[in-house]
Amino acid sequence: MAKPRELKRRIRSVQNTKKITKTMELVSTSKLKRAQDRVVGARPYAQALAEVIADLYSPELAERFPLLRQPTGGVKKAAVLLITSNRGLCGAFNANLIREARRRLQELEQTGTETELHLVGKKGIAFFRFTKRTPASQRIDIGDRPTPAHAVELVTPLMERFANGSLDAVDLVFAKFNSAVSTPPTTLRILPVTPPTAGRSDGRTVNYILKPSAEAILESLLPLYVRNQVFRALVETAAAEHGARRTAMKNATDAGSDMLDILQRTYNRARQGQITQELAEIVGGAEALKG
Amino acid sequence: MQVTIISAERSLFQGEADAVVAPAFDGQVGILPRHAPFMTLLGEGEVKLRQGGSETRFQVSGGFLQASANAVRIVTGTAVPSS
Repeated sequence: MAKPRELKRRIRSVQNTKKITKTMELVSTSKLKRAQDRVVGARPYAQALAEVIADLYSPELAERFPLLRQPTGGVKKAAVLLITSNRGLCGAFNANLIREARRRLQELEQTGTETELHLVGKKGIAFFRFTKRTPASQRIDIGDRPTPAHAVELVTPLMERFANGSLDAVDLVFAKFNSAVSTPPTTLRILPVTPPTAGRSDGRTVNYILKPSAEAILESLLPLYVRNQVFRALVETAAAEHGARRTAMKNATDAGSDMLDILQRTYNRARQGQITQELAEIVGGAEALKG
Repeated sequence: MQVTIISAERSLFQGEADAVVAPAFDGQVGILPRHAPFMTLLGEGEVKLRQGGSETRFQVSGGFLQASANAVRIVTGTAVPSS
């Protein structure tokens, strides 16, 4: 049996670790709350945009917009944009995202598509550095408070290259925020744009006066739609990260408590054993002196 | 009429107004209650909402304005209240 003093030291160490994980859990909980508000706040805009595009879009218009261009002769060159977090200690969160991205890359490469990788977040960058794959672009400055400007910076070069034909598809890999406990890694094809159909009322009930024209409005709204998809992905991934971290830290705290229970019990037994032994020795010694 | 102003990050304003003046792509447009269904692209500038005697202003850029069924919806990339 281990020495009581060593046990005592382990108990202290577990206690300290538990304090840290508990605190991280609390911090993530409050950050999650705010991140969740941002996810909810971004919804009306996305919905309004999708509604209007669904309203104005008709398949006959498709050829006129570069962002809707379906690549002729299959996808030859595709970009994958992977969003991960900058920090760890959030369970399998980043591992899941990376796995999804690799799966997607493999899928594309199997069909003979040339791929390039764009990375957001230190964790994704670190992984692909390890696999010696050079990303086409990487950035770590977005953090957990993404702004629409970040999304614009990320996606504008991709949109330009898609429009001039040097890219045939852009896939976005991010964590979809269904709820704090359900954040599945998701792949979304952002280019070519799949015009939204949700929210479309059956038949056009209202005949709008459109200025300047349906085409012109669509033309300027489609880029907004693409940017907004990226923005939402950033916001959702940020929220998902905090959710994942909270769960991971809660598990760690619980595991710490279990461990402490066992250690404490072992310690008590060891201490009692020691006392019993010492008593026996004293009694034995006294008996021996009596002769 | 009911007016909503939505930016990419959040919904900024929701409420009643007697008149809306917005910077459309080619100049100012004014919307009064019971306006015909109307949709226009927005440029950059100030949206003014008149409510009784008071006026609320927002600086907006891009996006669109949609007027229908006595409701106006302004959807713009960025919107900030201006004093």
